[in-house]
Amino acid sequence: MATLELADVRKAFGTTDVIHDVSLDVADGELVVFVGPSGCGKSTLLRMIAGLETLSGGAIRIGGDPVDHLPPSDRGIAMVFQSYALYPHKDVRGNLGFALKHAGVDRAEIERRVNAAAEILGLDELMNRRPRELSGGQRQRVAIGRAIVREPRVFLFDEPLSNLDAALRVHMRVEILKLHQRLANTMVYVTHDQVEAMTLADRIVVFRAGRVEQVGTPLELYRAPTNRFVAGFIGSPAMNFLDARAVAGTVRLGEAPLCATTLADGPVTLGLRPEHLMRRGKGEPAGDGEATLEGTVQVFEHLGGEAFVHVELADARTLVAKLDGEQAFRPGEPVTLGLRRERCHVFDERGERETALH
Amino acid sequence: MIVRERLSATAIHVILLGWTALALFPLFVIVLNSWKSRKAIFGEPLGLPTGEAFSAKGYASVLSNSDFPLFFGNSLTVTGVSLALILLFGAMAAHALTEYRFRGNTLIGLYLILGIMVPIRLGTVALLNLIVDLGLANTLTALILVYTAQGLPVAIFIFSEFLRSVSHEIKDSARIDGLSEYRIFLEVVLPLVRPVIATVAVFSMIPIWNDLWFPLILSPGENTRTVTLGVQQFIGQYTVDWGAVLAALSVAILPVLVLYVIFSRQLIRGITAGAVKG
Amino acid sequence: MSIPSDDHQQPDKLARRPIRWYILVFLAPATIIYTVFAIYPIVESLRLSLYAKETGGGSGFVGFANYVRLFGEPYWATRFANAFWNNVVLFAMHMLIQNPIALALAALLSLPTLTGAATYRTIFFLPTLLSVVVVGFVWQLILSPLWGITPDAMQAIGLGAWFRPWLGLESSALVTVTLISIWQYVGIPLMLFYAALINIPEETIEAARIDGLGGWAIFWKVKFPLILPTLGLVGILTYIGNFTASFDLIYAIQGGLAGPDYATDVMGTFLFRSFFGFQSQLGDVYMGATVASMLFFIILVGVGTYLFGVQRRLQRYES
Repeated sequence: MATLELADVRKAFGTTDVIHDVSLDVADGELVVFVGPSGCGKSTLLRMIAGLETLSGGAIRIGGDPVDHLPPSDRGIAMVFQSYALYPHKDVRGNLGFALKHAGVDRAEIERRVNAAAEILGLDELMNRRPRELSGGQRQRVAIGRAIVREPRVFLFDEPLSNLDAALRVHMRVEILKLHQRLANTMVYVTHDQVEAMTLADRIVVFRAGRVEQVGTPLELYRAPTNRFVAGFIGSPAMNFLDARAVAGTVRLGEAPLCATTLADGPVTLGLRPEHLMRRGKGEPAGDGEATLEGTVQVFEHLGGEAFVHVELADARTLVAKLDGEQAFRPGEPVTLGLRRERCHVFDERGERETALH
Repeated sequence: MIVRERLSATAIHVILLGWTALALFPLFVIVLNSWKSRKAIFGEPLGLPTGEAFSAKGYASVLSNSDFPLFFGNSLTVTGVSLALILLFGAMAAHALTEYRFRGNTLIGLYLILGIMVPIRLGTVALLNLIVDLGLANTLTALILVYTAQGLPVAIFIFSEFLRSVSHEIKDSARIDGLSEYRIFLEVVLPLVRPVIATVAVFSMIPIWNDLWFPLILSPGENTRTVTLGVQQFIGQYTVDWGAVLAALSVAILPVLVLYVIFSRQLIRGITAGAVKG
Repeated sequence: MSIPSDDHQQPDKLARRPIRWYILVFLAPATIIYTVFAIYPIVESLRLSLYAKETGGGSGFVGFANYVRLFGEPYWATRFANAFWNNVVLFAMHMLIQNPIALALAALLSLPTLTGAATYRTIFFLPTLLSVVVVGFVWQLILSPLWGITPDAMQAIGLGAWFRPWLGLESSALVTVTLISIWQYVGIPLMLFYAALINIPEETIEAARIDGLGGWAIFWKVKFPLILPTLGLVGILTYIGNFTASFDLIYAIQGGLAGPDYATDVMGTFLFRSFFGFQSQLGDVYMGATVASMLFFIILVGVGTYLFGVQRRLQRYES
């Protein structure tokens, strides 16, 4: 059983706490993604799980066994680094088998594991090459292979795709997904890219400044973010945030009520995802459960199948709408946007999302 | 595991402290005893220069009897000017070699750099003849020219390696703006090589400042002696007067020590930055 | 782009292209000074070795006669063999003592968890900065039988009876001087090794830790193979330095005659005496040039071995 438990984990550098009481339970075989902006502590936490950093408080258990005092090599983990960290003076076969050879595993077993990893990752042609003779994607696969060979309980990935170009990143994402399906290991994956998080994770853990903001499946985070930070982090392009007012149980931008709320009267923030805005014809009556907004087109980014249209509303506020790319837009053209009331997200003054309606 | 790691740390510090003691003890002993009376030097070599043991006679002898300020000035001049020439001419040559393509580029580059492996001292016989023929015997100029020639290959090598990794774009944009190649060198390239200037300076300075060979052979005259040669001759004269000898050594050590402590961070950074290109 | 930046992009194809004077201007000062004061003297020295003084003044071409003298005449031959052999011993000791010590210290200093590394580095490099004259005399005084420091210190650890005036004894002078040289110059290979070690990416070391390697294994199996090029560089620099720059320390401590009785004579001091003369021995420019040529040849052999033997084999490890 390769479960991972973090219990009130804390980390301080000097007198400053960088990780604040993080608790998390990862199930056996789950792929959990740690995501958050730079400096939020996700990599530090990963390194603490690996044993490359010590804990200042709390406990970590792998498969039920406490590992706090164990060195990295005894924890049953394997790590894939952002920079691949291959041994430059060894060829691919040497890199894959290095750890096993050092541990005194017998030659036949080393060969079996190395060949198995090579087959899974498609490295058979490259076994005799040195790292400097490999492309970025190939090096990344060798790094993953080195982890597989150790037959760990938990795989740790530290932003493994950050050094690859965009196209390769998309390809490797799918490869990692397939790998997880094939190996069914517990995996902890750190990234700052929310697209990677959404596509790979069974569950996502969103970090900010050393604290867990929310834990949930990608869909949970998308549909029900607990606060503005998570709402703005997940989804691309980002959610539109508009300053609004709660008046008598409704949320208004101007005078017209847009959706219902149970918050007391006062300033609130209205969140609208670009993909939930639709173009409506001028003067077309709002459908059932829908509200409309009037504005003018400022700029639009044409991506072929879709277009991101930046609309300026009556009161000079702007928002971005993701609309069908087949239509034409002209700067300065007036446009009416429709939105379904239940797609509105309402955030109170502290940024907490109101959950009653959804 | 954690306990084991901490023990190793202690052992490491023991080793390092051991070498520290070995490195510093001789210097400490010398400076300490330079402030003591003759009796105290011999009677209690490791004792502190307090009370009866204190004596500044050694320093008095040194500072009144010798031309140390002159020697020091000579060393400063020779090292300073040589360094300036090495940096300037070295950067110019490296710039030409890395920026422009022309026939013989590789050949000239190799020619200039092979000096790293061929010590200039081997040609001393002919060098002396040359210096004499040029009427430069017993001049600081002779030393400057020789040291510049000696330091150029390493400087050119380090500058070239560095400049090769700098993109062409900033120079091209200066060209678009209409700057001449000379101005591009002065205003764009020279500021760019600032990170490695420390490296080159360190590699060049030490062999020049401490050199005994060329001052001895090319400019042993009293007016042109460098501090290295001066200390050597001075001590040769005063071998019996231990106080004076110790004081002289301390005087020779102290300026370098002070400069070093002030600049040690840049120095070390300079060495480690450029030294990797081996 | 229609700017003269095709300097670095396209080779010169147009015959009517204006001469790029600035290239000459940039290259000239360095090339001239270097050629006149570094290359020409060496070539000229080689040429001079083929000449000798003629009776009645002047000099004449004598072919390899000087070399024959160097190896044939007992006076020259014994001095040369002595100096050469001493230099070899000096070099061997530096390679076997100085460089391993430097490597060990660098390995310790490059550990990321070491506190006070910067201070140690500063201290360790200090002796290297000192003037060789200072170092020579400092140690001469400390090891002097007239002063009590060393005998007292040895007495304190029970080795009092082992004290000898090492610098003055033929049997131990060379070794002692070499140890002093090692004490002073350990800083240079130390810095070079240190720079190479800290350039190994931290993640590679961490990967090795995760793979289960302890400190000792990490050093020998990961770090050491990756700094082999530096080892080669340090080797050749030690070689060149030992055969040429060793003069300074020995001259400072033992004088031009490299006493006692030539026990510390090395190629540098030998060369110095040959052309410059010292005390009772008259200098002979031509024999000096001959010795210099031999030294040049010795260095060439070393450099050649490095460039073609060591370097080529090290290419395989480059990353």
